Parts: sequence; structure tokens; C-alpha cells
Amino acid sequence: MAEPIVATRGLTRDYGGVGLFDVDLLVPLGCVYGLVGMNGAGKTTLLSLLSGLRRPDRGTISLNVARQQVAVCPDVADFDAWITAWEAVDLARSLVTPGVGADAVDAALAAAGLTDSAGRRVGGFSRGMTQRLGLACALVGDPALLILDEPTSALDPSGRADMLSVVAGMRGTRTVIFSSHILDDVQRIADQVGILREGRLLYQGGTQDLIDQYLTPSWLVRIAGDPGPVTQAAGAEPWAVRVEMAGADTIRIDATSIEAGERGIPAVVAACSARQISCEPAAADLESAFLALTAASPQGVR
Amino acid sequence: MTTATVRAALPAARQHRMSLWRLEWLRLTRTPRAIALAVLFAVIGLVEPVATRYASDLIGHLSHGARVSLPPPTPAQGINSYVTEITLIGLILVVALTAGALSFDTSHGLATFLRTKASSMWELVVPRVAVHAGAAAAAYVLGSLCAWYETRVLIGSVPAAAMLEGMLCGVAYFVLAVTLTALAASLVRSTIGTVAITLGILIALPIAGTFAVIASWLPSALVNAPVGLAGGTQRFSHYLPALAVSVAADALALAVAVRRLRAREI
Repeated sequence: MAEPIVATRGLTRDYGGVGLFDVDLLVPLGCVYGLVGMNGAGKTTLLSLLSGLRRPDRGTISLNVARQQVAVCPDVADFDAWITAWEAVDLARSLVTPGVGADAVDAALAAAGLTDSAGRRVGGFSRGMTQRLGLACALVGDPALLILDEPTSALDPSGRADMLSVVAGMRGTRTVIFSSHILDDVQRIADQVGILREGRLLYQGGTQDLIDQYLTPSWLVRIAGDPGPVTQAAGAEPWAVRVEMAGADTIRIDATSIEAGERGIPAVVAACSARQISCEPAAADLESAFLALTAASPQGVR
Repeated sequence: MTTATVRAALPAARQHRMSLWRLEWLRLTRTPRAIALAVLFAVIGLVEPVATRYASDLIGHLSHGARVSLPPPTPAQGINSYVTEITLIGLILVVALTAGALSFDTSHGLATFLRTKASSMWELVVPRVAVHAGAAAAAYVLGSLCAWYETRVLIGSVPAAAMLEGMLCGVAYFVLAVTLTALAASLVRSTIGTVAITLGILIALPIAGTFAVIASWLPSALVNAPVGLAGGTQRFSHYLPALAVSVAADALALAVAVRRLRAREI
């Protein structure tokens, strides 16, 4: 693992049985770290502790970056209604990096997709626009560490895609920690993931590692014509855990491992001289891994 | 739209770079705050001496023609009528406006924005207190000048020195109201709660002033200083202890407010 930019040890904030307990977080430099968990799992508490907005009861937080280089976007951004978007970002600039010029404000607004609304007063903004303004205010200081609490929660599908694209584009240039309950978003852009349940960190590590670790590798194979021979042939293979029809022309094949499936399925189709329309991973997503992990795992970090 | 287009479309904004001081100035001028303060204080300053001068006629009119005879008003009564109204209505307005600016923790999003970007709590609090104290002082002086003019035209003249000394005392009291509002904002998060606590403290001060031994030291003694000075019943030196306590209380209230706001979690 690369050098951590954030490391916590035994981080605890107890709100009478709920809160955050003994969290050892390790966030590698330059990664996009997705923090997932159900409502009340402790995501916002953890981000507030990292932001310095709350203090832990126990444990330590090590930031390998100056506090001024940490930017925070709350889940519901808010600004005085009578200032313009440009003024809001310029205010953030004046507080965080007073030495930089006005061009940084323009660039931050452009990165957040608010160039057209720069002169508008914030009071007329939708919640999604306000959230993007919060991102612009965070970016204007060119932070080394960006903490985003539910950054896509108020956005429409287009705005959500834009936000995810912006965040994904930061990988390697700055570290991003973001929380989300939309697991599809996390899977799309996070290379590291931490799963919280009832205030405890159940898992942290590579997103793909988690998916690989907790799922039975499964594929949906569409065959042109009769899928029967392929179904029979696959069922006879030692690496095939389960083979069943998932539609008129679609076979679901569960394998013992990703590698076994990736090597074995094309070989079976070729051996049967069948015409394959498509072959795609089935249910190989973070949501399934999350559900498998949170449903079965005893508490404690893996 | 490119960033260059934005630059062309926002010349005014780019000329005035933002800061927490400018934010407070905009809070006054882009919302009805400044106008409300100016209009309220000026109207009370202009109307109250008129009401004092024509009190007999007004009471008679309200009494359905009954003849009411009152002794001719003195200039000090003209000033007194202004002071009485402004330390009630004007004070509530000043406290409410200041509480609105200082209750930034009521919004989690706004509090996060400000607290994670400002380098210290002093940086956040001082502009809010200073600008609102300045606005309250300016409004008080405006109202006092209006009351002085009306009193001179309708009732009789008040010496300029007495008037200026009285204004200084009144301004000190209104500045204290602002710093006490900051203190109250550090005790509770809500704007209404902040207003209630501040007004409670300001009401408690004159009650404490019923103890003669401390009466002249309490800032509440400053409220009626313009009247005592205008009427010649008190000298300015009489109010120096209350002025000193008021300034010390400003500093203490501000220090405690900053300390408590810094310790608050959101």
C-alpha cells in the first residue's frame, strides 16, 4: 500500500452506544477512497472527525498533510443566499489561499460546471447546484485531501455523472475520501473502499479485491440458437459450481474462481461450436459484496 | 461559457475581492438590514420629540376633545422620548440582526464551510461583531442627530457637548448589546434563543441597578446618560465607571464567545 495520507488508530466517538468505535483507517496517498455503510453506520461521524469538526473520545488521527490543504464538502452545502456563486468561491479562496488570483475562482467554478451561473445569487440555486458550488469552494484551494460527504445525493443523473467524473479525474493528483450509500457510484470511481457497520470498520482495501473476495464468480452467457449443448458441457466441467438457464437463450454459470471462469467458459463455447452473443459478469458488483459482508461478517476490520 | 467569458461578465465582483469583512458589509447592504436600521432610528429620532412637544394635543385628541394641560416640555424630555423608544425597539432590532449573523452554526452546511476554511474563530467572529457594532453605532448616532434637530426646532436647544457625550454613552451601550449577542450565540445555536438570552441579560442589568452601590458601575446606567447630560443633572464623569465596565465587558464577552464557539462541535 502507498504511503497513507490519513491514518487513524482506535478512533472512537461514542454517542451512548452509537457512533464510531476503534476505527483504524488507512487512506493511501492519491487514491479515491469510498466510505460506504447504511444510514447511521458512522460515515458522517468519521468524516467530521477527520475534518476536525468533532473530536474523538479516544484514538488518534494522523494527517500527512497540512490542515489548510484539507477541504471539506458537507452533504448539504449552504451559503448566504445573497452572495453570488463567484463571491462564495472567492470567499473560500480568500480564507484558504489568499495569495492566488481570481483565475483560480474561475477555474474552480468551471470544474464544478457552474461557469454559467457564476454571477447568480446562491439563493436561487437548486440543491444540486448548491452542492456543486460546495465542490467549487473546496477545489479553489487546490487541496491535497478532499473530504466529500455524500457528494451525489442531491444531483440529477447528469449532475451525478459529472460529479463522479470530476472526482474520478482527481485520482493521482489529490486524495479523495467520500461517503456514499450509492454503491454503484463507489464501485465506479473508488479504488479503495471502507465498509462501516454500526460504527465499526468491517473492511477496507481495494474495491475490486472486495468484490472478488466476497462473490462467487458468475457470468451470463447468451448463445445464438440452442444453448442446451453448452449448458451440458459447462455442467460437466470441474470448475463449474452451478450451471442453469437464466432465460430463453441465456445461461448462468457460477465458477470456482474468476480465472477458472474466464478461461473455461470460452473454451466450452468453442468446444461446442456454439455462437456466443455475449458473456458478461453477473452480479459482480459492490452492492452484492457489501450485502454479503454486512450480513455475514462478525464485527471487526479485515 | 469559458473562464474568459466569466471574467468579462463579472467585472464588479472581480474588483471587490471577497473577505469576511466584505461579507458582513454585503450582509448589511444586500439585505434590508442597513435600511431597516437607518429608517427605524431616524424615524424614532424625528417623531419622538414631535410627540413630546404636542403631547397635550395628542392626549386631548385621543380623549375625545377633553382639555389636557401639561407643563411645557423641556429639551431633556425631547431627548428622553427618543432614548426611551430606541432602547426598546432599536435594541431589539440590533440584537436580532446581530444574532442572525452570529448564529452560523444553525446551518450545518454553512458552519462546515466557514469553520473548515477560517484559520481561527477570531477571524470568523470579529468581522461579524465589528460590522454590526459599527452599524448599530451609526444608526444610533443618526437617530440622535434627528432627535437633537427636532428637539431644537420644536422644544429648545441642547448643548452640543452634552449631546455628543450622551451619544458616546448610548453608542457604548449598543456596542455592548452586540458583544453580548456574540456571547449568547456561543451559548445556544438558534437565532431566537440567542435573541432571548441577550435581551434577558440586558433586562437583568437595570434590575441589578436597583442596588445603589453598583448602579453607577453598570452599563445600563449609560442608557439614560443622554437625558441626564442634556438636562444638566449629571456630568460626563458620572458615567465614566459605567463606560469602563462596558468596554471591559465587551472584551470579556468577545473572548468568552470565541472560546466557546471554538470548542463547539457541529
